Amino acid sequence: MEPLIKVRDLYKIFNIGLNAVPALNGVSFDIYKGEFIAIVGTSGSGKSTCLNMLAGLEAPSKGIIQIANKRIDRMNEAQLVAFRRQNVGFIFQSYNLIPSMNALENVAMPLMFRGVDYKERTKAAKHYMELMGIGDQCLHMPNQMSGGQQQRVGIARALVIDPKIIFADEPTGNLDSHTTDDVLTLMKKIVSEEHRTLIMVTHDPHIASWADRQIRVVDGHVVETVINNESPIEMEILKENGEPPFCEVKKAD
Amino acid sequence: MKLSDLFKLAVSNLRRRKTRTLLTVLGVVIGTASIVVMVSLGLGMSQMMLQSFQDEGSLTMIRVYESYDRGDSGKAKDKQKTELTDDNIAMFGTIDHVVAVSPSLEVNVSAKCNGYEGGFTICGVSQYYLSQLKLREGGKIPGHDQNELSLVYGNQILYNSFYKPSNYDTYTVNPDKDTIFITFPTSSYSEKPTKTDSESSKPKEPKKYVIPASGIIAGGENDWSSYSYNVYADLDTFKRFLRKLYKKALVPDPRTRKNGKAYNYYVYDAAYVFVDDMDNVQTVQEQISNLGFNVSSNMEWLQSAQEQLGMVQMVLGGIGGVSLLVAAIGIMNTMMMSIYERTKEIGVMKVLGCDMSDIRNMFLFESGIIGFLGGIAGIIVSYIISFVINFFTSSGGDDTMSMFFGYGEGGSLSFIPVWLAAFAIVFAIAVGSLAGYVPAVRAMKLSPLAAIRNE
Repeated sequence: MEPLIKVRDLYKIFNIGLNAVPALNGVSFDIYKGEFIAIVGTSGSGKSTCLNMLAGLEAPSKGIIQIANKRIDRMNEAQLVAFRRQNVGFIFQSYNLIPSMNALENVAMPLMFRGVDYKERTKAAKHYMELMGIGDQCLHMPNQMSGGQQQRVGIARALVIDPKIIFADEPTGNLDSHTTDDVLTLMKKIVSEEHRTLIMVTHDPHIASWADRQIRVVDGHVVETVINNESPIEMEILKENGEPPFCEVKKAD
Repeated sequence: MKLSDLFKLAVSNLRRRKTRTLLTVLGVVIGTASIVVMVSLGLGMSQMMLQSFQDEGSLTMIRVYESYDRGDSGKAKDKQKTELTDDNIAMFGTIDHVVAVSPSLEVNVSAKCNGYEGGFTICGVSQYYLSQLKLREGGKIPGHDQNELSLVYGNQILYNSFYKPSNYDTYTVNPDKDTIFITFPTSSYSEKPTKTDSESSKPKEPKKYVIPASGIIAGGENDWSSYSYNVYADLDTFKRFLRKLYKKALVPDPRTRKNGKAYNYYVYDAAYVFVDDMDNVQTVQEQISNLGFNVSSNMEWLQSAQEQLGMVQMVLGGIGGVSLLVAAIGIMNTMMMSIYERTKEIGVMKVLGCDMSDIRNMFLFESGIIGFLGGIAGIIVSYIISFVINFFTSSGGDDTMSMFFGYGEGGSLSFIPVWLAAFAIVFAIAVGSLAGYVPAVRAMKLSPLAAIRNE
């Protein structure tokens, strides 16, 4: 089995004033298709930076990121945008729905960027709205919906382009615990049923435990990786490769 | 991304901020309207000027005179070359773009009417020239080569040419009712100079002629044109008439050869060359001038006047341009504000894979639409303003305005041709897009990270 994402020796160093502040200090790991990965860490640990670089929103200072055999660290911004348009769904913490569009239009928006017909994209959007259990909310504006509903719209928007990878940045950060459970259940269901790859960033170990595999980041290093042994995808990878997914772990000093 | 989607997105973004969009559009409206009205004033003025020149005399006519500065050279041959003879007149006719040439044989006469005295010039001109004259109703152009001479009076002659020698009291002549006695000058030439001495001792009373008037140049006491001060007659009829008077000398004051004999051909006082189009006047004029003749035309005046007016137009347009510049800055400001407000939204779009060029185009569309709306509304406003200006300057009864601008009734002071309206709209769109360009590029380059930064 070939990994979908390969990360090798990834560094990100911010220059703040005259000081070079490392956010990510050389991480290496593989991610396979169908995995639900949680990158866990406290704020400032570098977990978000890692996600941003995987999604091509930030350029790495050093290192290799290879997604589906493409070196995204070598792409320019226009290529990255095109790459995201074709391959990547994104779920935000604060939902980031466009306030002037109703729910359906929001979900259909990524397809609009692809130049899909109005009819076709509305049909697809409707399908995912229903999958999210909010098929009756199509014509509501974002400010008429609860946080949980908005995040479902956000998830539908991420799914509508049929992405290879879904990135989620603290997707439940703004939700109460009850809704959090709902949303996570939904996400996990989608991943397993539709065989998607989901990479989620969170600071909450409890939320991270929903994932098939957790990568714990402290001060820019991967310090621990936790595999859910009951997860079918992880068992499959182990069976096929004879070893768990590659992840370089450094003990913090 | 599809163009229609892009357009819809731009429109919905503008509708989100109705008040601000409206205010920005208003700026463009004022800018466009001020440019259009200013230019329309310039156009109207130049149109009026053209009209007034046309009233004054044909713009396609070139006046040709004999060149006098060659007299010094003393060579009779050279001089002869620039004499306005029938040969030279015929030669003018062969120049490209020349429609017709009319010689003008001019004789100064004195006249008496009801005890008032006056004087004027009778010009014998061709039928073509006569056909160019605008006569008062009932008037008729003298026929070609008639037995009896008939005259066309310039309208100003009726009012200003006759006066009482004692008190300079002027008299308005009516050629239809009053009898005008015309006295032709006595000949300065006699075939046998020796005889003159004896004859001069008993001067003959010059004969008075009563010549019928066939028409009067159109216009009243306050209308002037280049035809107003002359009396016109058919050339051949006039020649025939003069031959009876002056015999072989042909004209009252003939030129003589070295042997003292008068020329046996006509040398005209002026020639009028008619050109097919205003645009060709200059070239024809130059050609004739190069032949050694003195030339002048109304086009020359028109051109210098138009140059001056062009300056006025530029100044007016510049004043309008300043307000459009302000409007452009307004658009830019609005778009900048809009980008700051929508930083997050733009970031989200980028994260979700919206092409950079699409983002830029969306903003360009928005500013272009502002320009377009402003341009359309500006044109409507301009037409209204133009109407109001014309209303007050012409028939509206307010004469002070038209006096101020120096042009009377007829024609409108503000004139908006279709091309100006179309140009203004296109220009407004262009200004909008141009003003939106910098903000649009800025939006395009915004980092998508702004979207995921949580406040």
